[in-house]
Amino acid sequence: MKQSIKVFGIGVALLALFSMSSCTSVEGYQKMYLNDQEMELSARSLEYFCTNFQSYREGASGANGGKVGGGCGCN
Amino acid sequence: MRVQLTQRILFMGLFLLTGMAALAQNNGRTSTSVASDTTDVFRIEKLTESDASILFSYYSQDGNNSPVTGGIGTEQLTDLSSKIIVNLALDDKNTISFDGGFDYYTSASTDNIDTYMSSASRKDMRVHGNIGYSRKAMNGLTWGFKLGGSGEYDYTSLQFSGYVSKTSKDGNRTFGLSGQAFIDRWSLIYPAELRGQNWVTTDQRRSYSVSGSFSQVINKRMQMSITADLVTQSGLLGTPFHRVFFRDQGTARVEQLPFNRLKIPVGIRFNYYVNELVLLRSYYRYYWDDWGIQGHTASLEVPLKLNRFFSIYPYYRFHTQSASTFFKPFGEHTTDVRYYTSDYDLSDLTSHDIGGGVRYSPAQGIGGLKLPGKRNRLLMLKEINFRYGHYTRTPSLKANIFSFGMNFSF
Repeated sequence: MKQSIKVFGIGVALLALFSMSSCTSVEGYQKMYLNDQEMELSARSLEYFCTNFQSYREGASGANGGKVGGGCGCN
Repeated sequence: MRVQLTQRILFMGLFLLTGMAALAQNNGRTSTSVASDTTDVFRIEKLTESDASILFSYYSQDGNNSPVTGGIGTEQLTDLSSKIIVNLALDDKNTISFDGGFDYYTSASTDNIDTYMSSASRKDMRVHGNIGYSRKAMNGLTWGFKLGGSGEYDYTSLQFSGYVSKTSKDGNRTFGLSGQAFIDRWSLIYPAELRGQNWVTTDQRRSYSVSGSFSQVINKRMQMSITADLVTQSGLLGTPFHRVFFRDQGTARVEQLPFNRLKIPVGIRFNYYVNELVLLRSYYRYYWDDWGIQGHTASLEVPLKLNRFFSIYPYYRFHTQSASTFFKPFGEHTTDVRYYTSDYDLSDLTSHDIGGGVRYSPAQGIGGLKLPGKRNRLLMLKEINFRYGHYTRTPSLKANIFSFGMNFSF
């Protein structure tokens, strides 16, 4: 399973890098899909609670806009 | 002469009527705040909208590896949370924000701090609040800061943060830099049978982080972002009421962890608007810290748009991490080491989080409660969101979380 997650991670990273290398300039009037709320490049507001308890229950945290270890008794 | 006077009165009347009509039109505007270019000739209004969110959640968990009892025993816990977030646009450039909320929790494991009497930590409430300011400056530059704090029975925290971001002229690329500082303090509560001696040298905890981010539009349907944090912590990083049991000693000790910790998480998001029905939201994070933990987290969410306003979004999240070098299960530590913990949050673990949500967001909003004030703002319900997740973590933890949120604009 760990191998699968690594493969997934590397896949996302490569896809992102590959996509970046083939970026096209998108004009403001062409952003109807990108401006959709579901396309926001951040966690949903309701994910706040999940991110919070995951930061308690897992040693790893951060890089998702949530807490990084302070402000609570978590790790 | 009389005709001229009549013409003048008629002209002035017409002028006043036109002015009053224009004023009435302004007063009739919805969800506006007035700003910018005012000249003697005409006036252009830029519309700004404020928003507010009210969020609730109910979380329950159970397992058999509580660190309060040395890595064995109940981890039963329930938590009821609420949070309110308000972003108040002062004009088209300046926004102030407030957020605040509480967590009310009951915990069977912290009740075992004192195994003979029900302790104060059996139930507790945490309250938290922040106030912030942000400004859209020139040339796509935005900056802001936030101050806040939280408090609960045995833990208080002060928080300071600030950020700056720069968006390219075409709006396709954004760079961001932010910093956070937490100044925390424990109220030291040791397990009942271990009281009477000082197990730790400080009750303070400091956490500082800097975070860099970069987001990029790839094409009309794809965009991605990369975020990297550098986090350093110092002070009391263990928990004073966590017990550790040893192979070569009958009695327990209080968990001991290093004074410092360095964490480096790096996350990538990639979103794809496949078609009018299906979207993909993916996320991957690599995590490393100097306590020996390396982690991989991946999640995939597939929002399905049933119509323009209604969508459902199943999701799955997977996390795996290696154990901290200071972790061992119940009764496996030896007393000749300096640092030890039996907290399974720091163990070699995998977790699965599966669930979904429904979201209703009518384009024009629902309702239209008129708010008091000169600007005739209307309070509109813009979104209703419900989410459920089922979480399992090795070796024994299971949890469920229900979340509900409403977003308003005004």
